[in-house]
Amino acid sequence: MKRIILTILAIIMLPISIFAISGEEIVRLADEAQTFKTAKSSGEFQVTDRFGTKITSFNSWARGESESFIEFTSRAERGQKILRTKDEIYLYYPDAEELIRMQGSALRQGVLGSDISYEDMTGGKDRAKQYTIEITGEEKVLGRDCWILKLTAKTRTVPYPKEIVWIDKKSYLVLKGEYYTKSDRLLKEMEVLEIGIFDNIETAARTRISDTMKSDSETVLVLKTFKANVALDNRIFSLEELW
Amino acid sequence: MSFRIAKTAFKNISRNMRRSILSGTAIAVASMSIVALFALIGGMSQDMKNNLRNFYTGDVRVRNKDYEEYERFNPVHLTVNINKAGEAISKIDGIESWVPRVSFPSSIYIDGSTFSAIGTGVDLERERNYFDLDSIVVAGRLPERGKKEMIMGAVLARNLHLELGDKITFQTMTADRSTNAITLKITGLAAFPVASLNSKYFWMPLDRAQDFLNMPGEAQEILVKTSHNIKPLLAAEKLSAALSSSGTELEVKQLEDISMMFGLIRMAETVYNIIGIFFFLLGSTVIINTTMMVIFERMREIGTLSALGMHGRELVKLFLLEGTFISAIGAAVGVAAGILLVAYLSKTGIDFTDAMSGMEFEMSSILYPKLNAGKTIFVYFYAVAIACLATLIPSRKASKIQPVEALRYI
Repeated sequence: MKRIILTILAIIMLPISIFAISGEEIVRLADEAQTFKTAKSSGEFQVTDRFGTKITSFNSWARGESESFIEFTSRAERGQKILRTKDEIYLYYPDAEELIRMQGSALRQGVLGSDISYEDMTGGKDRAKQYTIEITGEEKVLGRDCWILKLTAKTRTVPYPKEIVWIDKKSYLVLKGEYYTKSDRLLKEMEVLEIGIFDNIETAARTRISDTMKSDSETVLVLKTFKANVALDNRIFSLEELW
Repeated sequence: MSFRIAKTAFKNISRNMRRSILSGTAIAVASMSIVALFALIGGMSQDMKNNLRNFYTGDVRVRNKDYEEYERFNPVHLTVNINKAGEAISKIDGIESWVPRVSFPSSIYIDGSTFSAIGTGVDLERERNYFDLDSIVVAGRLPERGKKEMIMGAVLARNLHLELGDKITFQTMTADRSTNAITLKITGLAAFPVASLNSKYFWMPLDRAQDFLNMPGEAQEILVKTSHNIKPLLAAEKLSAALSSSGTELEVKQLEDISMMFGLIRMAETVYNIIGIFFFLLGSTVIINTTMMVIFERMREIGTLSALGMHGRELVKLFLLEGTFISAIGAAVGVAAGILLVAYLSKTGIDFTDAMSGMEFEMSSILYPKLNAGKTIFVYFYAVAIACLATLIPSRKASKIQPVEALRYI
């Protein structure tokens, strides 16, 4: 009788164990969901601090997980560009006679005074390999069912040693994130405020990012247009094209 | 009688010349040291005031009314309109000169390393009227208006291994609270009188800085120097009223109200004066000690003079006159030597560069002592008076000693 019960239980549990998804798999799928062969977008940073709100608009191009190019179009920043290659971030300013290569502590600076650091732009999107991942719970964000995952860095090369992220079970979009130091000090918070559908692709249309080190400050990243898998000129991602 | 005593006093001085010279020298050295010390203190104090006026506050400083509240957040956008402020300043009598300035912290990226420096946009023509601008140039030349040039603190250039002609890119926050970068050529090296300016600052033309920081026609602060016929407080009040009447609300403060800076000077002056008084008293003890010893060691002579019929009061007068003559000559020589020493040092300066490297202090690394006529005259009369008083105690005692008793001092 006991053996029969155990067999029945095993048969009932089998599909669950076959179809249960691991934390690593969730993060891998989330990274894949936001990585495109090529992409072109435009949007703006709305940076709010104690002095008010400043809006900076940009056009952006990306290729794969580690190459991107941003050109700023707002009046104050017109002509400024950021090129991210596999290993480096370069800044171009019209009044400067040389490119600024961001590295070391300079990477922690906010992009154009925003809460998004240059460091946030670095690193590949293979977080499944860089972190030990653990599913710690489930919660609804923006009315969507999400997994809560705790990511603990395996290496020192990642911007944040610890992350807690809320990933949408359906779209695999990261809808919320908290980013910590090794000693659990909260460094940054991210929250998707609105999801948009661009070219049949669901992605974050408005995202709030707050650097807890900067008091009274938050940045809302607004995506106005987004097109994936578009034809791009290879030269866009070259240093020569910055000049 | 008095003339005879005076004559005897003179004779006594020349009779034991070695002792007299020794006593006079002690008084001279003490007087000289005190004169030099007061001149050094005066020089330090004046130097700090000059540096504050030239580089930090002016006699009156005009800023955006909210600037001070947000100063730690580098509010480049909280500015002063130069034309409006200039119009208001022109309405006030007794303004010597004024300069608009823009300061901005910046990052420098050299060979993969990040360094920091503070840039200042300056109106070179106005700066020339404001202070001796050309005196800070130790190599090369000042940057030219409209050009992407700068003059860099010599110590900053040395620390970054930069030379004349090198081009450096600076990145900073702009008045739009965005970022921008500019490449500037080093056309000159500056020896600012203040160590912290030397090791952190570079100066560039104001028009270029305004363009780079997106703040055309604006400055972060305006420093105003007043002439002697108007007090800074009154000038500040008048300027504030003139700005208000033109509908511009700005913060106008006189040097003394920029508390931290002026408080520092006050504190420094108090400390210097305490140190000065300490050395002054030390000098006095040297004079007292020398004078008293001269009399105490002459007890046998005093006994002999008493035995010969010299009265107590005459003895006191004799030694008082001796002390007066020696101290008058010694103090005169000492004060004269002090004046000469200060005159020499006020031209060459005393170099404290190594001692002050890395110090955040608005004092020049080369100090020029400054003679104060009143204090110098006071030192002379003080030295003479102290020496005379110092003779009174032992000579009064000596005058009461019986001749037989005095002979025991042999």
